[in-house]
Amino acid sequence: MMKKVVKPIIRHLVLALLAVIWLIPIVWLLATSFSSYQGINISHFFPEKFTFNNYLMLFGAADTVAQFPRWFMNTFVIAIFTCIISTCFVLMVAYATSCMRFKARKPLMNVGIILGMFPGVLSMIAVYFVLKSIGLTNSHFGMVLVYSAGSGLGYLIAKGFFDTIPVSLREAAKLEGASEATIFTKIVIPLSGPIIVYTVISSFLSPWMDFVYAKLILNSGISTDWTVAIGLYNMLDRSLINTYFSRFCAGGVLVSIPISALFVIMQKFYVEGVTGGSVKG
Amino acid sequence: MKSVVKKIGNIFRNFGESVAKGNLWVKLSLIIMGAGYLGVGQVAKAVLMTVVEAVFVLYMLLVGVPYLSKFGTLGTVQYKSEFNFATMKNEVNNYDHSFMILLFGVITIILIVAFLCIYIANMIYVYKLQKRKEQGIVINSFKKDLRSLFNERFHITILALPVMGVVVFTIVPLIIMIAVAFTNYDQNHMPPAALFTWTGVENFKNLITTSTTITFGYSFGKVIVWTFVWAFFATFTTYFGGILMAKFINNPKTKVQKLWRTLFVVTIAVPQFVSLLLVRYFFANTGIVNTICSQIGVTDFLTKIGLVREGLGYIPFLSSPGWAHFMIIMINIWVGVPYQMLIATGVLMNIPNDLMESAKIDGASSFQIFKSITMPYMLFVTGPSLITQFIGNINNFNVIYLLTQDVYKTTDQLLANSSAKEVDLLVTWLFRLTSEQYNYKMASVIGCVVFVICAIFTLIAFRRMTAGDKEESFQ
Repeated sequence: MMKKVVKPIIRHLVLALLAVIWLIPIVWLLATSFSSYQGINISHFFPEKFTFNNYLMLFGAADTVAQFPRWFMNTFVIAIFTCIISTCFVLMVAYATSCMRFKARKPLMNVGIILGMFPGVLSMIAVYFVLKSIGLTNSHFGMVLVYSAGSGLGYLIAKGFFDTIPVSLREAAKLEGASEATIFTKIVIPLSGPIIVYTVISSFLSPWMDFVYAKLILNSGISTDWTVAIGLYNMLDRSLINTYFSRFCAGGVLVSIPISALFVIMQKFYVEGVTGGSVKG
Repeated sequence: MKSVVKKIGNIFRNFGESVAKGNLWVKLSLIIMGAGYLGVGQVAKAVLMTVVEAVFVLYMLLVGVPYLSKFGTLGTVQYKSEFNFATMKNEVNNYDHSFMILLFGVITIILIVAFLCIYIANMIYVYKLQKRKEQGIVINSFKKDLRSLFNERFHITILALPVMGVVVFTIVPLIIMIAVAFTNYDQNHMPPAALFTWTGVENFKNLITTSTTITFGYSFGKVIVWTFVWAFFATFTTYFGGILMAKFINNPKTKVQKLWRTLFVVTIAVPQFVSLLLVRYFFANTGIVNTICSQIGVTDFLTKIGLVREGLGYIPFLSSPGWAHFMIIMINIWVGVPYQMLIATGVLMNIPNDLMESAKIDGASSFQIFKSITMPYMLFVTGPSLITQFIGNINNFNVIYLLTQDVYKTTDQLLANSSAKEVDLLVTWLFRLTSEQYNYKMASVIGCVVFVICAIFTLIAFRRMTAGDKEESFQ
């Protein structure tokens, strides 16, 4: 009888302990963002005085170092365009490889799988060379190109979803005289709600999460050009950290809230997408 | 492999046949690509093909040939700026820009190959049209051809842009990177002020040499060992950690599973440049963790047992070799386990329940079930993605860079000479060589090495992924 009571308690205690470990940095982020001390507080975990000042300063008092509203807009615009282009690319490639049969399909998919497995970081210096030679470094258009140009390679999850749409639907439409373009836009797309949501959110998030490319390409040092990632990173420069650390935390909280919300929505579709194609059967 | 050779042979045989047996119009297509279409009355297509040809010839004359002719030397005319007293202005001579020559050389070669393919395909197609006309089969009008791009050839329409994007932003850069590895492009040879040129395999030799002036060999050895150690530990700790956590949370005895899952997911939803930078200051030499550790006596204890150097006064979490390596892997567990937990949750839910039930009826303990059913099943489903993750970790830039940049200073002079650190992965080393040292040639050589490593693992994963291909089984 004792065992039955104690065991679940231990189980939940272990989980709670793990959760605390995992959440400590997040709590520290939140706490510091309300701190009235602007540098890093190294003697206390929680700040001595709480204030909203850091948030107000982020929006109200933009100086040459902290241009948070501007960075937010920059990233937002880049993300919107990336999202539109990537989503189109992914859906188009997924439709072509899933619903159509043509000679180059298999070889193209194989090349796609191989290229898709190479991490983007690897080609970054070369991408930087190419952008530099056509004068697109330090431009947001260049960033959009970098984020969305190769996005067609991420078609596999969408393809897995399209594969499950019954073939008979498309055949019926064909008998009625619909062209492939009509089938794509009028039948397959309306049936793919979940996977479109997933693609839209994941491509919208990538510019927000990216650090490497932004750091490499937006290298002019003009703070109005930056994205949130570069701007926040710059606040931690050795000469700035003692006045900007709490504002860095406030900025971190502000970008994290919308991103986490989108992430949690996406995560539901992600699990379905990753496992949906491979396991049934 | 054989079938590819055979196919190429076939294409050339068809091409030869078209040239030999084609009528005058088809033969004329050898020079003017549109001619064959005129012969069958397709004026619009004839104009289109001829325009394509003209644009290509024009490009070759104006851009391609000038750049390609200098491709062998990458330019010989040095940049010079002289003050001209007549115009009272600085005048720049007509100098060669080595990088432009390299870039346009590569692009031109790609264009030539593409054009040759179109050219050969055009000949074969034109001959086919001629035969069709002779047999009296109706030839599609231009309008119909256009319409077919939205129907049976819709794939060409929708694949054109994505494929082009991949070629321009993935394939061309990779070729350029490989090319730069064979040149002397670095801070002393920066166009436009200076030229760079081909140097053969010298950079590759330098990468494995250790001498008084070059220490790349020494650094390369250290960095590549750590890269593999890191990739191994990072992949396996998060993989098994994730599975264990998923098992633990999904156990029916656990209450409010959703809440627990969300708590852990929150940590990965925060962008890495926020969470990792934060953790970096959390564990800084004068950071909060160190303050707490010294207050409760952990620092003294670690000094006593020799894990912290005498007289240091703090725990060098991210600033001394052994500690930093250990901490990076631990912090990566923090980053990676919730992510793996999500994937594992999805897979675990799909394990056929009857398997578990029958094992239980046969009297298997829960550990036996885990060992003989859950793990093999997980490995079967997630095996290929395990390899992909290993590759991803070899290139895990964010964790290493954000945790150690500006914080970790190497004391090893040999490493510092080649601007490497003990905690660098190949990619972070490559990144700093590029963005801080402008040593593009060595960065490219390292890029090539990473490329080869990735290629080997990718091919292994690829063979496993395509082995059990059943994509059409449930359509």
